[in-house]
Amino acid sequence: MFPELSFNIDHGYLEGLVRGFKSGILRQSDYLNLVQCETLEDLKLHLQSTDYGNFLANEPSPLSVSVIDDKLREKLVIEFQHLRNHCLEPLATFLDYMTYGYMIDNIILLITGTLHQRPISELISKCHPLGSFEQMEAIHIASTPAELYNAVLVDTPLAPYFIDCILEQDLDEMNIEIIRNTLYKAYLEDFFNFCKGMGGGTAEVMCEALAFEADRRAFIITINSFGTELSKEDREKLYPRCGKLYPDGLEMLSQCEDYDQVRTVADYYAEYKELFDDAGTNPGDKTLEDKFFEHEVKLMKNSFMHQFQFGVFYAYVKLKEQEIRNIIWIAECVAQRHRAKIDSYIPVF
Amino acid sequence: MPIFRSEEMVLCQFFLQSEASYACVSELGELGLVQFKDLNPNVNAFQRKFVNEVRRCEEMERKLRYTEKEIRKEKLKLHDQGENPRAPAPKEMVDLEAKFEKIESELREVNTNNEALKKNFQELSELKEVMTKTQMFFMAHGEDLHSIVDDAHRAMGQEDTGIVTATQGSVQLGFVAGVIPREKVPGFERLLWFACRGNVFLRHESIYQALEDPVSGDPVYKDVFIIFFQGEQLKNKVKKICEGFKASLYPCPETPQERDEMLRGVNTRLEDLKTVLSQTADHRHRVLVGAQKEIRTWIIKLEKIKAIYHTLNMFNFDVSQNSLIAECWCPSSALNEVRTALKNGELLSGSTVPSIVQMMQTKKKPPTFFQTNKFTKGFQAIVDAYGVASYTEVNPALYTIITFPFLFAIMFGDAGHGIIMFAFGLFMILNEKKFTRQRSDNEIWNTFLGGRYIITLMGLFSIYTGMIYNDIFSKSANIFGSAWRMGDYNETTTLSEYEEYTLDPIYFFRNGTPYPFGIDPMWQPAKNKIAFLNSLKMKLAVIVGISQMLFGICLSLFNHLHFRKYLSIFVEFIPEVIFLGCLFMYLVGLIFYKWVTFDASESQCAPALLIQYINMFMFSSKLPNSTASSGALVPCSQVTFYPNQQTLQYVFVICAVLSAPVLLLVKPLVLRSRHNRKMLLSGRAPGVKSTEALIPNEVTAEADGNTVSRSVNSEDEEVPHNGPTSIFLVEEEEDDFEFGEVFIHQAIHTIEFCLGCISHTASYLRLWALSLAHAQLSEVLWQMVFSLSLKMDIAYIGGIAVFALWFAWANLTIAVLLLMEGLSAFLHTLRLHWVEFQSKFYEGDGVNFAPFTFKELLKMDSLEDLK
Repeated sequence: MFPELSFNIDHGYLEGLVRGFKSGILRQSDYLNLVQCETLEDLKLHLQSTDYGNFLANEPSPLSVSVIDDKLREKLVIEFQHLRNHCLEPLATFLDYMTYGYMIDNIILLITGTLHQRPISELISKCHPLGSFEQMEAIHIASTPAELYNAVLVDTPLAPYFIDCILEQDLDEMNIEIIRNTLYKAYLEDFFNFCKGMGGGTAEVMCEALAFEADRRAFIITINSFGTELSKEDREKLYPRCGKLYPDGLEMLSQCEDYDQVRTVADYYAEYKELFDDAGTNPGDKTLEDKFFEHEVKLMKNSFMHQFQFGVFYAYVKLKEQEIRNIIWIAECVAQRHRAKIDSYIPVF
Repeated sequence: MPIFRSEEMVLCQFFLQSEASYACVSELGELGLVQFKDLNPNVNAFQRKFVNEVRRCEEMERKLRYTEKEIRKEKLKLHDQGENPRAPAPKEMVDLEAKFEKIESELREVNTNNEALKKNFQELSELKEVMTKTQMFFMAHGEDLHSIVDDAHRAMGQEDTGIVTATQGSVQLGFVAGVIPREKVPGFERLLWFACRGNVFLRHESIYQALEDPVSGDPVYKDVFIIFFQGEQLKNKVKKICEGFKASLYPCPETPQERDEMLRGVNTRLEDLKTVLSQTADHRHRVLVGAQKEIRTWIIKLEKIKAIYHTLNMFNFDVSQNSLIAECWCPSSALNEVRTALKNGELLSGSTVPSIVQMMQTKKKPPTFFQTNKFTKGFQAIVDAYGVASYTEVNPALYTIITFPFLFAIMFGDAGHGIIMFAFGLFMILNEKKFTRQRSDNEIWNTFLGGRYIITLMGLFSIYTGMIYNDIFSKSANIFGSAWRMGDYNETTTLSEYEEYTLDPIYFFRNGTPYPFGIDPMWQPAKNKIAFLNSLKMKLAVIVGISQMLFGICLSLFNHLHFRKYLSIFVEFIPEVIFLGCLFMYLVGLIFYKWVTFDASESQCAPALLIQYINMFMFSSKLPNSTASSGALVPCSQVTFYPNQQTLQYVFVICAVLSAPVLLLVKPLVLRSRHNRKMLLSGRAPGVKSTEALIPNEVTAEADGNTVSRSVNSEDEEVPHNGPTSIFLVEEEEDDFEFGEVFIHQAIHTIEFCLGCISHTASYLRLWALSLAHAQLSEVLWQMVFSLSLKMDIAYIGGIAVFALWFAWANLTIAVLLLMEGLSAFLHTLRLHWVEFQSKFYEGDGVNFAPFTFKELLKMDSLEDLK
């Protein structure tokens, strides 16, 4: 009757845990200290005093940004795996859903890599560990989407998403992009329906988050498709149909031909209008991408306001990813002695 | 007296020459008596002065950690020989760095070689497995590849064998063989099937022996597989899949002779490799054993260096004088030691300019520091667990040493159980050196070990109270001969005949001399034992409880005297004593009075204490032998004890009641009038909060800015002793007086005290209740378990029963009576001390003194302990 009443029986521990993890997320004051760092060693020293602790203690000097990146990601993965290993249904499915996105990214990365004749071992190390699956490393035997489906993906949870893109065409850059977006579209819609089916706080929080994700993809696809050979009909097929833009906004987006028209579409939606208004390409302005990230952070932070729902798990991973992006951005700026733009990270708390 | 009050602390300022500062801090760390303050709280960790040194230490730590991990991997232990090397001089750091660098690189080289060799070895053994398995496979199925395929087809139940046989001649079948981790086999098989559309034929077989992973050394289980396929295209595909699944492929010759030959070759190479491997392992072992001997010394040295630099980072750097300025708390009694340590440091570093130590005046509360030894440590911990004593307030730990085991023993009174507990405590004390060195991880054991002196004392006191209660495993000992005579009692009759007796002193008491020590053993089998013991123990509990509370109030007097709160003596201490004395000490007096004046012959008509006490508050006592107005005879229990009792009781109750408003009102009112007078004197309207008071202070701080002796943290109100600002400091005592707050605080205190006296007295009755429960429980255990076997009247079987039931009884005694009951009595004692006793005088909002010391480092087992 009231799922909240019995929520803590199954998921109380993990929710508590993730809220504890959340308090380890770096704060504005930490970032202020980080941007003052002169070298990566300074960065390491400061991170030691945060929740990251001694995660770099066993790395020989000199540090490189990629090592920091790996270690940051490793920490997130360990935390996520801990949550996944201790969870019960339906949280288990929910967490699995979260990994599908990474799986899609990994598949696309591998296909693109093999297309450019890179050795598979080098590519594997670049894959996100949250999205790894057993058959992943054999992806390079596939040369057409059909083969990819039949040989590799048929056993993975992504198989149902792939049905739409089985074409007997060769894999080329364009097709890969189409595959990626089709997969993502199917994935988002599926995840959206799953969360909606959960009802309660989960549906409330997650539907908003996923709707935003869907709309963001629709905007980005549209903007990126200008000047390519993607036809308007094909483009429309790639829009995820679970956002606030659906159906009218997507209809309009599919007719857009330049950035200004996209902007006109966004004007119809209060929250997106704001993002488009503030974004600019001039130096000093925030890019549209950053504005989207900022909005995402805001949404994710809000999801911690609700209790007894799964949105916090999703939000935690997303916030942590943003934090990793921030640290890496700062680390890159420090490493390359390019301090002018070091401040364009997106603070979380 | 160092345990009665905490040590007197002073805030010192050190001016250390920068070349001598390292050695000085090192000496102070060995001394462990100063607590440094962080003077740069706003500076980031990486912007501090000695950050490079800290970083170098961390790099060395990493190398040592690697070495340590390798040593542990080799199953060697780090021996703690109690070594305590001094922190090496800063210039030796380079040597250490070089040494660690050498060891680490040597180890890494050995490891990479070893890994390469092991990898080679693994590959060869895999190849060997592949060879033997394929050989067996081909032997089983015949050499001809086609027949194998035929077999396979038959196995799969395909009906179109005709087609296969028809194409046989033209088809060139190839095969690859290799090894794959076992857990990947199902996925591998499935993917092969999907990707090649069923056109390949896979056989796999397990390798029973686990192979060793070359890097981690973990066992890995693998399978040998062989795949048959036809055509180049499929071959490429199969190879790609193998690559994807991290399966290693091995060349496998087509003919059996070649395979045999290859197998032989592989075997000889394996043998060679084994000898090489054992040699590298030996070498590695030698390197590690060499490092093992010294690693603990290195770790301690390194940690000391790091701690010193961390401390130096808290100091302020004075560029003009090339010196470091430190501020620290230290016990004033240890000042000379600190000075000597600083001198030693100067000598060691060869610095010519002496360091300067300067006292500072401060309004900050100093930390609380008690010198403890291994005996008092446990008791101090009990007190600290409630709250660390405020600076120089009376420390209850001193009294806890005796009262704690005593109150425990009142509840745990059984000499038999006491002996076991005492023996256990003594065992821990006698072996304490061994046990403390072992550093067990078992939390329960460590708790027991930490409280070994408490346990021993509790056991000792339990023996004493047990003897008083005359309870030894719920039995009594008749040592001096009972003073009771029962009817035809003589030395030959057994007590069991009198089990149903109700002891009445009028009939059975033999003569005037009671049993010399404790309770007469005759009570043990008596029917009215419980009634007798209850009366006794309840009164004892009240007496002990009220005495302890009165003692607590008396201790508050020492606090008032020490802190010069003379007002509190008159308006807090004295009313409290009056309240407690008039109401509760009077009760204690009545108890003794009743014990002394009424003997057995009058006991039928003795006044009841409880009724008397209630009547005292109701103002309705009756005169002895008087008749009430109604004419009915007053029952004996209502009659007063002595003449004029009623008047005296009136006075007592009125005094007690009057002391409550004194306690509540006087102190806040006096404080307020004092405050107002002060405000008037300083020319300000009373009640107006002064903001100007802050201004002169700021001015002085500015004016004083260029003198060296100014405190480094200008936002603190600390000023050196000899600075001109100290004059202002005295004036600057600006207490924010808030009448409402003071009044509410006092009201809470009053209510707490008055209600507390009543509820705490009742609370002390737990002494009686728990001791009763303990005695009853052990009696039940004796009668329900062990005595059954003693009553058994069957030959031989009885002996077995005694043996078996004794076992059950002994175990239950340990588990229930000693452990569970002991724990419960312990917790109740803890509560009585924390709540009932300490609430009378103890403030407990101090901060523990946390000196900079190297001692903690020596306890460390490995670098992993650092957190």
